[in-house]
Amino acid sequence: MSARDAILGRLEGSRPAGAIAREAAILANDPERPLLAHEALIPQFLAQLGLASVAATFEPVRDWSGIPAAAAAYLDATALPRSIYLPPDPRLRACDWSGIALRETCAPDKAAAVGRAIAGVAETGSLIFETGPATPMLPNFLALHHVVVVEARTIVAHLEDIPARLREARAHYWVTGVSGTTDIEGQYVRGAHGPRYLHVLLVDEAP
Amino acid sequence: MSGFTQRVEDALADPVLKIAVERTAGTAEAKRAAAVGAFPDFEAARTRAAVIKDHVVANLGHYLQQFEANAQAAGATVHWARTADEACGIVIGICKRADARSVARSKSMLGEEIGLPHALAEAGIERIETDLAEHIIQLAGERPSHIVWPAMHKTREQVSALFRARHREPHLEETIAAMAESARRHLRSAMLDADVGISGANFLIADTGSVCTVTNEGNAELSIMPPRVHIVTAGIEKVVPSLPHAIHMLRMLARSATGAALTQYTTFYTGPKRAGDRDGPEEMHIVLVDNGRTQMREEGLAEMLRCIRCGACMNHCVVFRQIGGHAYGSTYPGPMGAVLTPALDGLSANRDLVHACTMNGKCQEVCPVKIPLPTLLRGWREKSWREGLEPQTVRRALGLWAWGVRHPRLYRLGSALAVRVMRQRARAGWISRLPLAGAWTRHRDLPAPEGKTFLEQYAQGRRR
Repeated sequence: MSARDAILGRLEGSRPAGAIAREAAILANDPERPLLAHEALIPQFLAQLGLASVAATFEPVRDWSGIPAAAAAYLDATALPRSIYLPPDPRLRACDWSGIALRETCAPDKAAAVGRAIAGVAETGSLIFETGPATPMLPNFLALHHVVVVEARTIVAHLEDIPARLREARAHYWVTGVSGTTDIEGQYVRGAHGPRYLHVLLVDEAP
Repeated sequence: MSGFTQRVEDALADPVLKIAVERTAGTAEAKRAAAVGAFPDFEAARTRAAVIKDHVVANLGHYLQQFEANAQAAGATVHWARTADEACGIVIGICKRADARSVARSKSMLGEEIGLPHALAEAGIERIETDLAEHIIQLAGERPSHIVWPAMHKTREQVSALFRARHREPHLEETIAAMAESARRHLRSAMLDADVGISGANFLIADTGSVCTVTNEGNAELSIMPPRVHIVTAGIEKVVPSLPHAIHMLRMLARSATGAALTQYTTFYTGPKRAGDRDGPEEMHIVLVDNGRTQMREEGLAEMLRCIRCGACMNHCVVFRQIGGHAYGSTYPGPMGAVLTPALDGLSANRDLVHACTMNGKCQEVCPVKIPLPTLLRGWREKSWREGLEPQTVRRALGLWAWGVRHPRLYRLGSALAVRVMRQRARAGWISRLPLAGAWTRHRDLPAPEGKTFLEQYAQGRRR
């Protein structure tokens, strides 16, 4: 007997799939989750970014054309050279990046990388990334400074609202703050393996 | 003296261990309390989490087959292992077919449970532990002492000495931040050059075939993305019906473990790299491991399969806080470990563990999935009695006590006498030496009884 058959043989149940699904559907609702004021998702999202456990900074940007200037301002403010990794995202590439040296690859621990999140979550301050041709994922973990562009219109309330914004990608990454560890004496320090600094550029285009 | 008793003696005699354990467990306790206090109705949320897990365990065969079908449809290969040896054999086989010289491993308690580090060493495959704490204990040649903070037993001074001896460019400053930075430098290239990445799974999503990992460091992502092959080892109880169910469990897990609303990196992998993807593994293997779980389900330990490995029970355990994790001598320490270990490794060798509990109930109170840990431990104690595993001294003492309670007058006389002797021997409310209680008073004082026996006080109350 194969291991599969042996294990499943011990787990045989006679319940019909429909009955199991109905029970699961009831349990999928989460009335206990944190409450959010739906008319003020952006302030709540930004408040989460500022928590000590998330430790991100942010800058509102009026429209996409303002992204390069905001990125340059961040590099200047953190005394970094004006050089940054830019993913092959058409929307980001369409901006005018003159004045900043763009890198096509992100070597380990090179200072800064730009990333584009497909959504943000007000409940936790999470930034959602998805794999795909325009979104290499490794640079988001290799850079010391991660500059993330997210559009205000994509901020959702709860974690359960994320799937509605996902395409059918292979993997999705929910990034909630900078890389951290409490592995030595329980004391929190930043930049364990991933980015030590996370700077969010929130594109808030007027309707 | 049993192995357990010897390890406890050693732990209690270690002047540094208690400081180290207190620093991490104390911080974790305070952070959890704040997070739970800020949650709208944590009690109701715990009940929901328990019901979700019970629903999964009751329909485990259904969900595992659904998960398997969806993971395979996404291009992953699903393997099944009845035992730890079978699981290790499958992992080593995949590594050998991939001609792997080195594997990057992201901390997984299941990997520890099945002895994967040892199996990799035997197969001559270099293992790079990427979680900071696992890296520390790998350098020290030790085993984890906690399921969330495996290096909890080490002080910063000990970590510093270890890194100075073993890192190529060790830290210059004596700060924890500088030590973490030293580990980052040391591990980066090794992670990027690994041939295989091995991770556990915090959740398996049945209706999509996705594997979810959570870390705060980002080491799972960096261990999985660069290598050509990704191997997941997961206990069969890790499956949940869908993403919303996983989300509820994630809320409970992060708050109970570290007091955060969510782990920093919560990632869902569905199959290997696809056409057009810029990164990711070309092969994804998922090893579903039973290793005693179906038996636990059949033999009255189904509630233990709710466990999501948050570590709250051990952080709040008065015994764990005194002796640390290594004294338990098992992969899983603390209350959950005392229940799991006899199921995994047999009761006769682990009889001591089920007695290493004061039954104060704190673990059950903080458990995010409401596992009745004291009740399950009591079940093991009863089994140990029935199977004749209890030593003669325990059997005689309990026999004497059983005889006593059947003779109420004698029992009352005896207890009244005992209370008076104890009060006489007490200094400022504490007893430092007492006949027949040497095992207790060797390491701590015994609190003296406040007044008369319960029955004496009860009788007085009735007269009034």
